[in-house]
Amino acid sequence: MLDTGISPQRSMGRNPRIDLYLDLAQLISGFLLVGFLWTHMVFVATIIIGADTFNSLAQFLDDYYLSYVGIPFIGLVALIHVIVVVRRIPNRYQDYWRHARTIMHFDTWTWIFQVVTALGIAILASIHVFAVIMGWPIDADTSAARMHAFWWFYLVLLILGEYHAGFGIYRQFVKWGWIKRKTIGFALKSITVIIVALGLAALWVFVQLGGALR
Amino acid sequence: MSNYQTHITDVLIIGAGLAGERAAIEASSHGLDSIILSLVPPRRSHSTAAQGGMQASLANCAMGKGDSTDIHFADTVKGSDWGCEQDVARLFCETVPIAVRQMAYWGVPWSRVVAGKKTLPNGQEIEDTKDKEGLITGRNFGGTAKWRTCYTADGTGHTMQYTIDSIVISLGITVHDRMEAISLIHDGEKCLGAVARCLRTGKLNVYIAKATVIATGGYGRLYDASTNAIICEGTGMALALDTGQVPLGNMEAVQFHPTGMVPVWILITEGARGDGGYLLDKNQHRFMPDYEPVKKDLASRDVVSRRMIEHFRKGFGVDSPYGPHMWLDIRHLGAKHIDTNLREIANICRNFAGIDPIKDLIPVRPTQHYSMGGVRINSEGFAYGLKGLFAVGEASCWDLHGFNRLGGNSLAETVVMGMIVGKKIAEYALGATLEYTSDVVEDAAKQQQERIDGLISGRHGREDVFQVRREMEETLMDYVGIFRTGPALQTAVDKLQVLHERAQHLGLRSSGVGANPEVTAALRLPGMIRLALCISYGALQRTESRGSHAREDFPKRDDANWLKRTLAYWPEGAVLPELKYEPVTITELPPGDRGYGESSASSKK
Amino acid sequence: MSNRTLTFSVFRYNPATPEIKPCMQSYQLKEAGGMTMFVALTKIREEQDPSLMFDFVCRASICGSCAMLINGKPRLACKTLTRDYGTKITLMPLPVFKLIGDLSVDTGTWFRRLSVKTRAWVHTKKEFDPTVLEERMDNATALEIYEPERCIECGCCIAGCATANIREDFLGAAGLNRVARFMVDPRDERSEQEYFEIVGSDEGVFGCYGLMACEDNCPTKLPLQYQLAFVRRKMAVAGLKR
Ligand SMILES: Cc1cc2nc3c(=O)[nH]c(=O)nc-3n(C[C@H](O)[C@H](O)[C@H](O)COP(=O)(O)OP(=O)(O)OC[C@H]3O[C@@H](n4cnc5c(N)ncnc54)[C@H](O)[C@@H]3O)c2cc1C
Ligand code: HEM
Ligand code: HEM
Ligand code: SF4
Ligand code: F3S
Ligand code: FES
Repeated sequence: MLDTGISPQRSMGRNPRIDLYLDLAQLISGFLLVGFLWTHMVFVATIIIGADTFNSLAQFLDDYYLSYVGIPFIGLVALIHVIVVVRRIPNRYQDYWRHARTIMHFDTWTWIFQVVTALGIAILASIHVFAVIMGWPIDADTSAARMHAFWWFYLVLLILGEYHAGFGIYRQFVKWGWIKRKTIGFALKSITVIIVALGLAALWVFVQLGGALR
Repeated sequence: MSNYQTHITDVLIIGAGLAGERAAIEASSHGLDSIILSLVPPRRSHSTAAQGGMQASLANCAMGKGDSTDIHFADTVKGSDWGCEQDVARLFCETVPIAVRQMAYWGVPWSRVVAGKKTLPNGQEIEDTKDKEGLITGRNFGGTAKWRTCYTADGTGHTMQYTIDSIVISLGITVHDRMEAISLIHDGEKCLGAVARCLRTGKLNVYIAKATVIATGGYGRLYDASTNAIICEGTGMALALDTGQVPLGNMEAVQFHPTGMVPVWILITEGARGDGGYLLDKNQHRFMPDYEPVKKDLASRDVVSRRMIEHFRKGFGVDSPYGPHMWLDIRHLGAKHIDTNLREIANICRNFAGIDPIKDLIPVRPTQHYSMGGVRINSEGFAYGLKGLFAVGEASCWDLHGFNRLGGNSLAETVVMGMIVGKKIAEYALGATLEYTSDVVEDAAKQQQERIDGLISGRHGREDVFQVRREMEETLMDYVGIFRTGPALQTAVDKLQVLHERAQHLGLRSSGVGANPEVTAALRLPGMIRLALCISYGALQRTESRGSHAREDFPKRDDANWLKRTLAYWPEGAVLPELKYEPVTITELPPGDRGYGESSASSKK
Repeated sequence: MSNRTLTFSVFRYNPATPEIKPCMQSYQLKEAGGMTMFVALTKIREEQDPSLMFDFVCRASICGSCAMLINGKPRLACKTLTRDYGTKITLMPLPVFKLIGDLSVDTGTWFRRLSVKTRAWVHTKKEFDPTVLEERMDNATALEIYEPERCIECGCCIAGCATANIREDFLGAAGLNRVARFMVDPRDERSEQEYFEIVGSDEGVFGCYGLMACEDNCPTKLPLQYQLAFVRRKMAVAGLKR
């Protein structure tokens, strides 16, 4: 009696799987970027052990051409990420804002900051990457000089970046995951705190180093 | 010149609860066009509130072994205190197993038999066998010899209503929700449809149909303390009564549920006691076994309710600002059981009383719960007095329940009636032609428009709707409750007559524009008071005790004089219902002892 | 017992009188012990303003009729106790749904459309045979179906979801949860591809940002994160298979 017919194709002419592909691109690019950022933070933090360790790590990445593959690759991933997530930025942002203000819901607010931090990162990170590449190769002294002069820039970027990465990956797990929100939220908050602490420590060491250089 | 919208259809179904929607499916599968009206979206109908389950003698679970339609029949007749129609009960019991399986086919996730040994809370060892594994299981309910109440965890009514509604949607049946029928259109012989008021805009709509079906549920909200949803105001029954042609059957048969939670009167399902919960008095003594050694806390509802009141009168009630109550104890069932099988109860306790039933006792008291009476129809669903009018579900008096309905028999009744009566409706509508004169329709609509205009202009008086209404609720609660006496009932009749007169002079305090809720209440009230009068006056006249109708001045059942059904008519302009009586159909089981309750206790002496 | 006087600030608008602009109206009420918003609103209507429109049916958090924004958050008014709030309580109708008047919104039409769009009924080619026993089912499966089936269509998840507030065609958590209910039902013979047609897009599961206001505001405490993630993974696999 009940038919099992399929509803007529909603979007004629449009690939019916396009939304899936975009979502997957968002998933993968997000994961890769977070993976990169966390690794990058750990690498940068080797300065805490010493300038030599930092330099030899940079040397190592340079020698084996890892930098030359990695940097363009991450650039590409970042580009993809930006392209796929831009569609999520609401064009009726006033409505979104009004909604968030009414229901005062935590995860909804964090998403707003996801967008805000994204815009910040887009500007600051491009400057940062540009600066690093212009001053190639990576070297503790150059870095220390930069950090000493622009520590506030790095501080802002650190917080924006870690916030964006932490909550971004949290939302990925929420959307796809088997893991309970509470559990994954706790795990990611812990990781973020560790990374930020590491970042601050490294920043402090760099600033000291930079000060000593003069 | 008409300022209303007209809709023409084959079958007009007033009410989108389980009974109405099931009947609509039947009509629609016969190729008929039907329209369902409802006060609320179908899935918000009161049927969704039923948690306990529906009875069907499937004999699948361990404690249901050996069950049969015969045993279900005997339970039903005894439960009704021989007030039911036995041919109807027979037909019903034979059809339920099919109905429950059809619901399974449509998607209800019935709880299933899990094979293995289990220990009941009373220590009894039972075993569900492998050959029955995966079939629909059953739980224990009051007044039944076997475990046969099929259920879905704690949301039987919810899953049944959602499933039935999903079929209604799949069939593309038209539903006009927030559309309240406020009068039937008839020419004295034939029902032609209904006038309805849109609860979105306040505008009138006219529905013309070959067959009209009343499926509007019960009238619990005539009482001050009721487990029913607040839309259960008996409006459909009043519609039928107001035709002057159609009688209401056994309106004095009002069921009180033993366990309404104090003071919000939300029902704690019988499943709680079926699963092993029991009642305690103020000394935390389990008193039911003292009165009912066999069925204990699971005697039929009327019996448990009366035993509780008896026990109150002996001074064993727990005092509270809301009157005396008893405790319901389910703590021993354990957190796991309570949080899965009785989750809904647990939530209700937590949200509405701040009680955790895993650790705390639940305050309960008998509360109005079910209306056995309703639009009197024959065994095929045809209303007495008007052609083309049918009734199904709680709004009807098919008479399956007599003077006491068994828990689990009303959900079962809604779908079984939907099938059986639905088919008759379809046959009738297929053979009928749509003949009506526009005068009759115009008049009916005009009359309703005048009622509304009268209220808005205040030309009939300034009586306050809510005030009169509250007095009616209190009158029924105080004088037409569980135990009844001649003088109290007389008082109720007198008071209600005064209220009925006052209800002719209602005036609004607000403007009455649009979907104004004061207009809605004012339109319903006079009909509600007439129902209250049918209940009180019928109870006053019935000088015996039977099932839920317990007269202290006539404590015995009187088969010689009262093995008959009350039919209440309301001729135009009357101030009291006109009562007539008809014999009860007895086909198989002659009147006897119920095996529980006061009659059996006294016969032992 | 409390002797607080509560001030309710209630949204008022009656579409029948469009000349009167929407506004907030204040009502004062003495609080009673164990008072719910249902009790409070009923008292206000009966004693102060009989024209006030709002919806209650079961008054027991079962039917899903009475959702509204209480101090901005979507809640079932019938199970919200006044004692959990300060003396100032703001009541607004749910967003997203069409306003009927004051606090009353048309969730019924929205959800019926949802059922039609997701074809939310068991699709089977089998005919019902009244002469045979029911098909067997594992009790665990029955419970698995019942879990998402518990949704009472109150609309709190829709009203709370920023995406649903912005995109009219988004099915929302209730819609995706409804689809999950049929996906786990062995009686439903629909293929993954058929489900993909329904929810494999931004209108469906890929439109969900994972904001979780749905789960946090669901009065029935449905595990919506689990249900939405289940549908998303299933749809990802279905979409990639083809
Ligand atoms: C708390 C509670 C628990 C229960 N538990 C159980 C149980 O476990 N087992 C069991 O068997 N029974 C139980 N019952 C009884 C059972 O739920 C009802 O008897 C049954 O659901 C009634 O179904 P119905 O279709 O007749 O009416 P309802 O479901 O009440 O539907 C009535 C319909 O009519 C509409 N309507 C009413 N008036 C009008 C009008 N004037 N115009 C248009 N539409 C109108 C309403 O909108 C609604 O759609 C319980 C009852 C209560 C109160
Ligand atoms: C892809 C190329 C990148 C390279 C090669 C790179 C390299 C570096 C290097 C060498 C430093 C040390 C300081 C300096 O020399 O300026 C540094 C620091 C830093 N980078 Fe990057 N970076 C890259 C991308 C990014 C991106 C995309 C982010 C954004 C989120 C980022 C955030 C930071 C931060 C926050 C610090 C400071 C760390 C601290 O506080 O200790 N970097 N990066
Ligand atoms: C190192 C840099 C970055 C990292 C590690 C990163 C990581 C992430 C991650 C993991 C998510 C979650 C994606 C999802 O939920 O599907 C996300 C979301 C987002 N990112 Fe980034 N991102 C970075 C840079 C940027 C930049 C430069 C932008 C600028 C436009 C941006 C804009 C966004 C937006 C708008 C979202 C929200 C998408 C959504 O939740 O649906 N990101 N990001
Ligand atoms: S999922 Fe929860 S919040 Fe959403 S409609 Fe269902 S019950 Fe309400
Ligand atoms: S709030 Fe909305 S975006 Fe998704 S997780 Fe819930 S549906
Ligand atoms: S009135 Fe039914 S859920 Fe609140």
